[in-house]
Amino acid sequence: MSATAPLAIETHALRRVYRAKPNDVVALDGIDLEVAPGEFFGLLGPNGAGKTTLIKILTTLLLPTTGEARIFGFDVVHQTKQIRRIMNMVAGGEQSGYGILEVREQLWMFSQFYGLGSRDGWRRVDELIDAVGLDEQRRQKVSTLSTGQRQKMNFARGLLNDPWIFFLDEPTLGLDVSAARAVRELILSWKAAVPGRTVLLTSHYMAEVDELCERIAIVDHGRVLAIGSPAELKHRVQRESIFRLELDRLDGGTASLARLPGVVAASAAASDEGNGQGDRQSVSVNLVLEDDAALGGVVGALGGLGAQILALRKSEPTLEDVFVELVGRGFDDAPDASRDETPPQGRAANPQPRREDEPAEEELV
Amino acid sequence: MTADAPVAPTAPPALGSPEWGGFDPARTRGRGLRDLRRSFMTAARLGWQTEANWTDPILFFIYSVAKPLSTTLIFVVMIEVIGGASTREFRGFVVVGTALWAFVIAGIAGLAWAVLDDRERYRMLKYVVVSPSDFLTVLLGRGVARIAVGGMGAAITLSVGVLALGVPLDAGRIDWPLLLPVMLGGLVTIVAVGILLAAVCIQTRQESWSYPEAAAGALFLVTGAVFPLSVLPAPVQVVGWLTPLTWWIEGVRLAVFPAGPSGIGGTGSAFAAFTGRVRPEPHEIVVALLGTGVLVTLAAIVGFRVSLHRAKDRGLLDQTTGS
Amino acid sequence: MSGNPYVHRPTASPQAAAEWTQRQILMTNLRTVAGRAYPRVRGLAREKSWLFFEILLPFLTTSAFVFVYRALQAPPEYVGFVVLGGAMTAFWLNVIWMMASQLWWEKSQGNLELYFAAPMDIVAVLLGMAVGGMVMSSSRAAVVLVVATVVYGVTFAVDQWLLLLAVFFLTLTALYGLGMVLASLFLMWGREAYHLTQFLQEPVYFVSGLNFPVGRLGMLGALAIALLPLAVGLDAMRQLAFADAAYPVGTPPPEVEALILVVMTVVFLSLARWMLRTLERLARREGRLTIRWQ
Ligand SMILES: Nc1ncnc2c1ncn2[C@@H]1O[C@H](COP(=O)(O)OP(=O)(O)O)[C@@H](O)[C@H]1O
Ligand SMILES: [Mg+2]
Repeated sequence: MSATAPLAIETHALRRVYRAKPNDVVALDGIDLEVAPGEFFGLLGPNGAGKTTLIKILTTLLLPTTGEARIFGFDVVHQTKQIRRIMNMVAGGEQSGYGILEVREQLWMFSQFYGLGSRDGWRRVDELIDAVGLDEQRRQKVSTLSTGQRQKMNFARGLLNDPWIFFLDEPTLGLDVSAARAVRELILSWKAAVPGRTVLLTSHYMAEVDELCERIAIVDHGRVLAIGSPAELKHRVQRESIFRLELDRLDGGTASLARLPGVVAASAAASDEGNGQGDRQSVSVNLVLEDDAALGGVVGALGGLGAQILALRKSEPTLEDVFVELVGRGFDDAPDASRDETPPQGRAANPQPRREDEPAEEELV
Repeated sequence: MTADAPVAPTAPPALGSPEWGGFDPARTRGRGLRDLRRSFMTAARLGWQTEANWTDPILFFIYSVAKPLSTTLIFVVMIEVIGGASTREFRGFVVVGTALWAFVIAGIAGLAWAVLDDRERYRMLKYVVVSPSDFLTVLLGRGVARIAVGGMGAAITLSVGVLALGVPLDAGRIDWPLLLPVMLGGLVTIVAVGILLAAVCIQTRQESWSYPEAAAGALFLVTGAVFPLSVLPAPVQVVGWLTPLTWWIEGVRLAVFPAGPSGIGGTGSAFAAFTGRVRPEPHEIVVALLGTGVLVTLAAIVGFRVSLHRAKDRGLLDQTTGS
Repeated sequence: MSGNPYVHRPTASPQAAAEWTQRQILMTNLRTVAGRAYPRVRGLAREKSWLFFEILLPFLTTSAFVFVYRALQAPPEYVGFVVLGGAMTAFWLNVIWMMASQLWWEKSQGNLELYFAAPMDIVAVLLGMAVGGMVMSSSRAAVVLVVATVVYGVTFAVDQWLLLLAVFFLTLTALYGLGMVLASLFLMWGREAYHLTQFLQEPVYFVSGLNFPVGRLGMLGALAIALLPLAVGLDAMRQLAFADAAYPVGTPPPEVEALILVVMTVVFLSLARWMLRTLERLARREGRLTIRWQ
């Protein structure tokens, strides 16, 4: 990188150990990151990966044990004032402020901390309240806000000082689908307004990171396991092409497909549409090919078998697949996750069921 | 789980069953005395652990030594500063009054703070309220733990009074048959006043920490704790008669120093003008304490219920209200 | 509102935005004082139970002390001493309840982290709390002073008005300076600090001579005068406000006590500044700027 324009975030061998009983906790174990000004950067990792710890160090709230970190060239240990003037942060589930205040009063108080003039502060607060969509709650007591409204207010607070870098620690935690979408749109429009604005977002929602971030670092146990754009990361695990076929019938079963050239595996899958009771019987097949080019041969052969293709979709790998590949375990069954879920099965032979809000599959037909 | 589902006799309890902490329909039925007692004991233990732990020397020092003793010393020095003939007798008067005040502060503040603590500090008030234990019982338990601390403070203050300040206490002349019922009535009354303050604090802001002590301080004026009511204007003396704490203090004083000065009576007092006697008789004290105490207790229960209802109605239980 | 809500005060670059002028720094800190005082003032306006509990009841408590002296047939200036003590208690209570324990509260409410992440000085936040709290304590002090003076017939005899005023304001600066020191101590000690607030009530009232001339306490009184702004300030104000009273000797003249207050102010304020910096460093090192109850 050029010496004249410092990076938005630069960390070198960043390590953070918490003194704790019975054993010290190594929350960050040598993090090297470079985030350019204007980038939307994501940190993806399970609970306890060290995401919050990293954000706290970068926002000058926590000292690194060893290593270095700079924000726009300012050292997080010594140049805290400079950093605090140009950054802001919002965390999911944040419960800051004073319950007796109204939304705009609370925001005005924070505006004063950033040196906005008294009247300028009120004007700015009203403007941001409109921007985050809280106009109806403007005069409502902070203690009576819903989770989603509260998070919108936190965002308004975070934007009061026109930060150059915005740290978001799981900002959609606990929000419903539409509130989370509103928050994501808000972040994107804010960022687009001025070139050079930088966002560091942590999340354990893969879809969110996938949708928002230009580049991602996957972290676990305080280490960066991989860095790249979502596409690059996914490409890394995509050695084969996976398709999902919907057929009206398949004489000879999936075995007849598996014998075709270029087919790695073919397996029956639960049907999407026909659930056995409808007029239309259909057969669903998961097909793993060596590459996309092998698809032509399969389509031709199916015609020969007298099967008609009702639907054909390509399955893209998700960031979850990337994580599984990197860590050797699923995202949600991280050792310290309390949920009890079935272990992930073989990825290629039986792709993971997707969550509804994850746009994992791309319609081809 | 339905109640009549056939279950093999050897089958382990299902996850949702009461044995595993699951739902037990029996719990929805009315609470028996046993449940009340259990919540009370748990709360008392909790109060003990959080606020009154005597094994913690610092807490013991603050609540049972420094605070009550300082209160007493403030008055002792006030008397000392003036000097004069009557001050010797007055010293005993003030030491007993302020020693008993240790109960008042501890009891009133303990109950009211339990509300503020749970809501603001632990953010637990809503869970306490929705738990099957009766909220009032839980509060009482915590309050009782506090009163025990107050009792320790009272004992220490009295001991210092007798040993170091020359308060003439003759253990052989203590009127136990008067002391015991009066003490019991007094403690119940303190708890009632504490509940009233708790009812107030359910409604007020986080900064109401000082309210209970302000209330206790104001009661100094009308209860004859630190000076005889006779120096007050007559209407204010009557307000004192309506306060059960006045009768409590008078009763304890009479039981401990049968010859000491009276807080209610005395020459020139409204009591003397009204009854023609210098001081109330023991049975009058007990009856008056009982009457006023019952009134205050009823008011406390009603006030608390109303306050809790209003709080639920307006969603006050789970907010933090600092500023 | 016209314009883009996402751009308010455009800056050329992060580097330019990060460098502030001295004036900018000063203004931000001043605004922070106002900003932090605001919730306090709003809170008082919104929920008025304090008028009863923080003004009427304390007035009654002070009255109780007055009647003790009446019962003892004390000389009239003693009633004045009590009234003055009752008025000044308001500020002391404000310092220990609304300042000393406040940083710790802010931490448990999740605000402290945001305060540290913002560009202003934390001292400005503490000052803001003090100013906001003073609305209440001043009303309380004024009501106790005026009403009690009228009701109980206190007569003041002031020769040196200017010195009296100066001592009053110095007492406040020293008190709130001590409040800042306590705030950082409390933050460090966490939950135990709350018990310390309790310790700072009756015992401090006693050694500060809230209801009697502190000189009567001998060595203990001298110690209080050397350490507690409440004790020195009160003693000096009593000497100045009741100049004609046969005031018991044993304490320094008011001019000397004013000097003690100046020293206390300087010491407490610099100590507070140093402690807050140290505390921030410690907290950052140990990861203790937040606790979460959820
Ligand atoms: N203040 C602390 N003291 C001790 N351990 C901590 C502290 N904060 C975080 N940790 C530990 O450090 C690890 C990383 O935590 P965190 O950064 O919060 O992870 P994430 O935000 O990715 O979920 C966890 O094991 C956590 O328990
Ligand atoms: Mg986290």
